[in-house]
Amino acid sequence: MAKKQVVMTSGGVEVRHKPLGLRIWNNRGYYVMFLPVVIFMLIMNYWPMLGVRYAFYDYKPVGPKVFVGFEHFVKMFGTPAFWTAFKNTLELSIIKLIITNISAVVVSIFLNEMKNLFAKKTLQTIIYLPHFMSWAVVASIFSLFLSPSSTGMVNGILFHGDTTKYIYFLASKTWWRPIFYLINIWKETGWGTIIFLATLSGINPELYEAADIDGATRMQKIRFVTLPALANTIITVLILNLAKVMNMFESVFVLYNNAVYDVSDVISTYIYRQTFAIALPNYGYSTAVGLFKSAVGCLLVLVCNWASKKTRGRGIV
Amino acid sequence: MAKEKEIKTKKPSERTSAFDIINYIVFIIIGLIVIIPIWKVVVDSLNKVGVYQFQIWPSQFTLDGYRTIIQTNALYRPFINSIITTLLGTFLGLVLSTLGGYVLVQFDMPGREFFAYFLMFTMIFSGGMIPEYLVMKQLGLVNNMWILVFKHGMNVYNLVLMRNFFEGIPASLFEAARIDGCSPMRIFFTIVLPLSKAALASIGLMFSVAVWNDYSTVKIYITDPNQTNFQYKLRNMIMDGDTPNTAYEVSQNTLFNAGIISAILPFMILYPFLQKYFVKGVNIGAVKE
Repeated sequence: MAKKQVVMTSGGVEVRHKPLGLRIWNNRGYYVMFLPVVIFMLIMNYWPMLGVRYAFYDYKPVGPKVFVGFEHFVKMFGTPAFWTAFKNTLELSIIKLIITNISAVVVSIFLNEMKNLFAKKTLQTIIYLPHFMSWAVVASIFSLFLSPSSTGMVNGILFHGDTTKYIYFLASKTWWRPIFYLINIWKETGWGTIIFLATLSGINPELYEAADIDGATRMQKIRFVTLPALANTIITVLILNLAKVMNMFESVFVLYNNAVYDVSDVISTYIYRQTFAIALPNYGYSTAVGLFKSAVGCLLVLVCNWASKKTRGRGIV
Repeated sequence: MAKEKEIKTKKPSERTSAFDIINYIVFIIIGLIVIIPIWKVVVDSLNKVGVYQFQIWPSQFTLDGYRTIIQTNALYRPFINSIITTLLGTFLGLVLSTLGGYVLVQFDMPGREFFAYFLMFTMIFSGGMIPEYLVMKQLGLVNNMWILVFKHGMNVYNLVLMRNFFEGIPASLFEAARIDGCSPMRIFFTIVLPLSKAALASIGLMFSVAVWNDYSTVKIYITDPNQTNFQYKLRNMIMDGDTPNTAYEVSQNTLFNAGIISAILPFMILYPFLQKYFVKGVNIGAVKE
């Protein structure tokens, strides 16, 4: 720690480094201030990390913990439900990521073309709104909206109240995924536009003026000025979110049900059910699945971090 | 946003074209797509009878849905729990993230980088759902709504946002205060915090939305109906058929929709006034990370 550093005051005067002990003493106030954060992190984040060792134990609510080595991992890789969950996690989150960002880019380009400031502000206010609703609320809204009951608006309009034809969208294997993506678009598109709009407002207006002089149409200006300017931001957003692909949980958790496990179950919901929805859970097995998830997630973060450094010169963590 | 300038520089020849008209139409459609599901809930929550048709205004106005929520213990209890945990969680979150963020900009402090890595590591790796559950069980936080406060009280991402904000405060301010003999605590309270009101508002909002909206923590950790929050109760009532016995004669549809509106009402009331703080939070995070 005692490497030589050149320290400058804000006035630009170089000062010689004081001895380490003295520097620690001088900063004692800051260590005291950081202490609550450290204690909190140790208990809430680091202590559970020690628990990953249970992945190698048989650990049931009753009875002793028995070391079993890699048995849980062998069982896990041999379980079709696990692979379904793994595949679903990747598919659902990557497709969701791509389509919500496409819609956010499209909406923000058109928002940017909007000349009437009042209309623009109003629309922004409206489309940001669903972001602040919890997934539980969104699931509740859409389960009523799509419900096959007499008050479900979508079924009612599609079939003019003919209840025999009603579709139970959220319990249908064909419909669950499209509905899931649409709900995600509904909830997150607006919020996703913020970052793109910030980039768009930074585009040099001279570029548009130059395009005007060259006789470019509105569409051509979007195609040759706006989109290229957005390219970097789009890549950044994709990289940042790709790192979180394995975290998909609550959005699925509130919307899925046992009729659609095949198409909707993700790793986290699988872990949840293996622990809290069966009579005799083996914490060891669920921990092993969780460890696998954390390991893949960790790898993704490191890959994305590397990609981020390559493309924009700084990491994501 | 810097839009205004750009608009003024547009040539007069570019007034309203076909493109603009299409743009307006697209916008109205987008707005309606967002609004219609929400408005349907608003109307249904105030309507005595449930119909599938979209109505602008309830055909048989009633407040029974809301009255039921206020008078049914199984419904207002979770609502109060939500308010308590949100307030405490936001407070704890702000305390820890401002303290941590402030310490991380003390570039002269030995071990600063170690602290930064200590925090960052948790963004890369975590124990996972089950080891966390087992630890919380040992701490007595299972079946206890305090889990919501502690779970959201520390958020590395928000702490980093706070640090980024503090980084923008001129270091000479700190230095001057230190030369005048100010202790770190005093600098924090008399200089740093008063300068960071906007950041405190943004990050405080992020914390409160996170706690208020949390469903899965409750689902995992809490089974005692007295300790659940409103989001959990709502989703359970609507999607898992856990409707409480109510003193009022109220249709299920009215009650469900009134529940949804109650769950979003606190933030919907604040939202128009605080929108800029919400947006600012995203932009602090996006610009530097």
